[in-house]
Amino acid sequence: MSPVPPVLAMEQVTQAYSHPRTALFRAPGTFTVLDCIDFHVHAGEAVGLVGESGAGKTTLTRILTGMEKPQSGRVLFEGADIWQAGPAERARFRRSVQMVLQNPRSSLDPRMKIGTALLEPMRSLRIDGNHLDRLTEVLGQVGLDTSALERFPHEFSGGQLQRIAIARALMPNPRVLVADEPVSALDVSIQAQVLNLLKDLVRDLGLSLVFIAHDLSVVAYTTHRASVIAGGRIVETGPPVELFTRPKAPQTQNLVSAVLTVNSGLSGNAL
Amino acid sequence: MSVPNAIEVVDLVVGVDELSAVRGVSFAVPARGRMGLVGESGSGKSMTAMALMGLLPPGWQARGRVLHDGVDLLTLSDKALSSRRGRTISMVFQDPMSSLNPVRRVGDQIADVIHRHMGVTRRAAHAQAIDLMTQMNLPRPEQLARAFPHQISGGQKQRIMIAMALACYPQLIIADEPTTALDVTVQKQVLRLLNAATRERNSALLMITHDLPVIAAMCDTVAVMYAGRIVEHGPVQKVFRTPRHHYTRGLLDSQPTMDNIALDGSSRLHSIPGMVPPLHALPSGCAFHPRCPAATDRCRTSMPEIDATGAACWHPVPVAAPAEAAS
Amino acid sequence: MSAAATTPVPARPKKRRGRRNLTLTIGLVVTIAFIAMAAVSFFYLPHNPNVPRIPDRLLPAGSPRYLLGTDALGRDIFSQLMVGARTSLMVGAGGALIALVIGTIAGLSAAAFGRIADETISRSADIMLSIPGMVTALVLAATIGSGTLTTILALSAFFTPSFTRVIRSAALSVLQEDFITAARLYARPTWFILLRHVLPNVAGVMIVQFTLYFAAGILTEAGLSYLGVGVTRPSISWGMMLNEAQQQVGISSPLAMWPGLSIVIVVLGLNLLGDGLRDVLDPKLARRTS
Ligand SMILES: Nc1ncnc2c1ncn2[C@@H]1O[C@H](COP(=O)(O)OP(=O)(O)OP(=O)(O)O)[C@@H](O)[C@H]1O
Ligand SMILES: Nc1ncnc2c1ncn2[C@@H]1O[C@H](COP(=O)(O)OP(=O)(O)OP(=O)(O)O)[C@@H](O)[C@H]1O
Ligand code: SF4
Ligand SMILES: [Mg+2]
Ligand SMILES: [Mg+2]
Repeated sequence: MSPVPPVLAMEQVTQAYSHPRTALFRAPGTFTVLDCIDFHVHAGEAVGLVGESGAGKTTLTRILTGMEKPQSGRVLFEGADIWQAGPAERARFRRSVQMVLQNPRSSLDPRMKIGTALLEPMRSLRIDGNHLDRLTEVLGQVGLDTSALERFPHEFSGGQLQRIAIARALMPNPRVLVADEPVSALDVSIQAQVLNLLKDLVRDLGLSLVFIAHDLSVVAYTTHRASVIAGGRIVETGPPVELFTRPKAPQTQNLVSAVLTVNSGLSGNAL
Repeated sequence: MSVPNAIEVVDLVVGVDELSAVRGVSFAVPARGRMGLVGESGSGKSMTAMALMGLLPPGWQARGRVLHDGVDLLTLSDKALSSRRGRTISMVFQDPMSSLNPVRRVGDQIADVIHRHMGVTRRAAHAQAIDLMTQMNLPRPEQLARAFPHQISGGQKQRIMIAMALACYPQLIIADEPTTALDVTVQKQVLRLLNAATRERNSALLMITHDLPVIAAMCDTVAVMYAGRIVEHGPVQKVFRTPRHHYTRGLLDSQPTMDNIALDGSSRLHSIPGMVPPLHALPSGCAFHPRCPAATDRCRTSMPEIDATGAACWHPVPVAAPAEAAS
Repeated sequence: MSAAATTPVPARPKKRRGRRNLTLTIGLVVTIAFIAMAAVSFFYLPHNPNVPRIPDRLLPAGSPRYLLGTDALGRDIFSQLMVGARTSLMVGAGGALIALVIGTIAGLSAAAFGRIADETISRSADIMLSIPGMVTALVLAATIGSGTLTTILALSAFFTPSFTRVIRSAALSVLQEDFITAARLYARPTWFILLRHVLPNVAGVMIVQFTLYFAAGILTEAGLSYLGVGVTRPSISWGMMLNEAQQQVGISSPLAMWPGLSIVIVVLGLNLLGDGLRDVLDPKLARRTS
């Protein structure tokens, strides 16, 4: 066990939702979305989370980012439980853990200029300082220039918007970036731009990355370590190479065999 | 007697006012053949499909010829077209939710198609619908037939859509991104099903997607579309193994697959810089030139046509070059 | 770092909007003419529309001094139309505006403040919708007496539930967008999210609905006044003119034609305006074409 605690971790987290009641006087049923999950990410590490639709990936990110309180279990930021933390500690957590969402078109308010949208995190987290310098710096990091600030989201392509969403997440200088299927809505060629950018950020800024996807090959490209989640449980964790070449859990085998590649398609044994 | 082509498209132009989303596209899908149409978002794939189906948005117009079953579909009246839709030519859409009627039971919706086109009684149509659902590997078909669309999963909905499309043994099925909204495991099941079902019924398939592996797995020929034109066209094996157009090459190199990356996290993906141009600001000459690594002045001024190489390119990718990531 | 194009997409040429702009222009011209007519009526009227002038009764349109002729009591029709426009404007816009304000607050609350709020508001709206508007109007007229204010209240009561529904569903679709999730992540309170993100994104819907209900209000007011439960003299309304004309139809049908025509033109104009605005303001359409 390493002496430094992980930047962000969850221990034994369980979360259940109630079904909407089917009849007025029947008690609503519950079903468990996350079941005793342990998950962590160290400083500067890129961790992947793969699983089918409905496996509980988005729920996990909501709990990891403190948007939802788990019914049982703890969420630890630098070793301290975020739900026990004082206001100052919580503010630091909010600033340090940022999120990138799946659909770039819907993650920016269509009626808000890019400049305003990028300042949103600073305003809401009450961070002072010269934001203009920070804006220029962050836009540079995602490969855009300041001419973007005065424009509205509809003037950009999906790939550019996802860069802007990443820039917004980078504004408060976070330690952890949680990306929930950040490339699922993008075309292959654009997808490559965004994946490369995320990789650069981890390498150049020492960011920690939690990367969620349903496609194992995308996760393998971006992360050092990946967990497979199925039915609300983590069924296997390891380096992506291992998961790909020697999958142990049947759910992992399923995901591996579901990956289509051009070569397997051409050789005629993809389906 | 067998028909030579399930569909033949000649010089199709689709546009609204002075903008064209499809700018002179020609291809043919032979009977029982399977062709892929691939390209980035906004390249005009869906508009091509909509023109073939006669389902263009209001104000949009199609010119050229679309030969199917001995007639030019573009000259048919709305009534004649709609009697063909679902019968000799049918379509599976990307978003199954918005193409199923939310307030009708799914079994009834399949039966409607059969009843309308095959002239059988409602009762017989319903029996056939259940039968079809069984063939689609849907669990408990009798029960599922009574479900409403919102009560079933995305993969199940897409299977229902395929069942509806196949109900009347059409000569051609157009599938527009049928698995893009599904996750990878469900995607594979749906593709497998679509593959087997079209073969069984001798239907030709036009598969539209931006996902190259899907095309590689499903199709015999492929047409690569960029900015409303086909830039490369040929057998899948040839085009994907030895791409000649720089756009095709770029798409292949951007795939994050086992063949393309080292799994220790050290490699970088090749990416095509820039983005697809909007309709009203198409570059001159070869529309791909602002993003092309091999562009010259000639590319900027005059538009190449598809030639013997199978690609519309002034400086085709040399055949010997191995298709691997260039950083 | 990979080369990234920063060049945003150049603005789309405006030309494509041609046909939509025609609808919008016609709607705008009619609406402005209508408002101008109502506004001028405060400063200038050719004649006092309420003073009978028996010698001049039932003059045809185009008579000297009477542009559109006179009615059975010799009152100037054009002057009556001008004052009628004032009433229509007040009643239609007033009813739609009150409904807009209450409906927006209720709709946003239903969409954002959880299931109990939603159920309560939506069910109340359903119940209100199931009461026919005319019944509301008649009950109000019977209890507090008929008049302009009563009509405005009746109309707003009638329109509020549908407004609430429309705003609720528009807000719900905005609320499920990812930028709302992002705002929640930054711990923005719900009221802030509603004002800063939801309201601007449903503003287009609000404006369009307002125009359409404005038109519907004018139509309903005419109906009420025609039945004799709307405004009363000395106020004048187009519906009232229709009612009075109907008692004389055997004698002179142009009497019914002028207010009828005014109602048709103004209602049509407002509807065209609404449709035109919908095309311009609807963010979905705008997104599709960019
Ligand atoms: N607020 C909620 N109330 C009830 N059920 C919910 C809620 N949020 C999620 N669920 C259910 O929890 C399960 C897991 O959902 P989650 O969104 O975490 O899956 P996911 O792995 O992100 O899937 P996807 O790939 O489709 O995004 C699903 O069955 C979903 O229907
Ligand atoms: N209703 C519409 N009004 C105006 N322009 C449109 C409309 N629908 C599509 N377009 C434009 O037509 C062009 C081609 O669109 P099309 O939908 O055919 O692309 P596609 O290749 O199917 O892309 P995708 O992968 O996103 O489905 C795009 O530039 C698009 O913006
Ligand atoms: S024609 Fe020129 S710009 Fe176009 S793909 Fe070929 S080399 Fe590139
Ligand atoms: Mg999810
Ligand atoms: Mg499409």
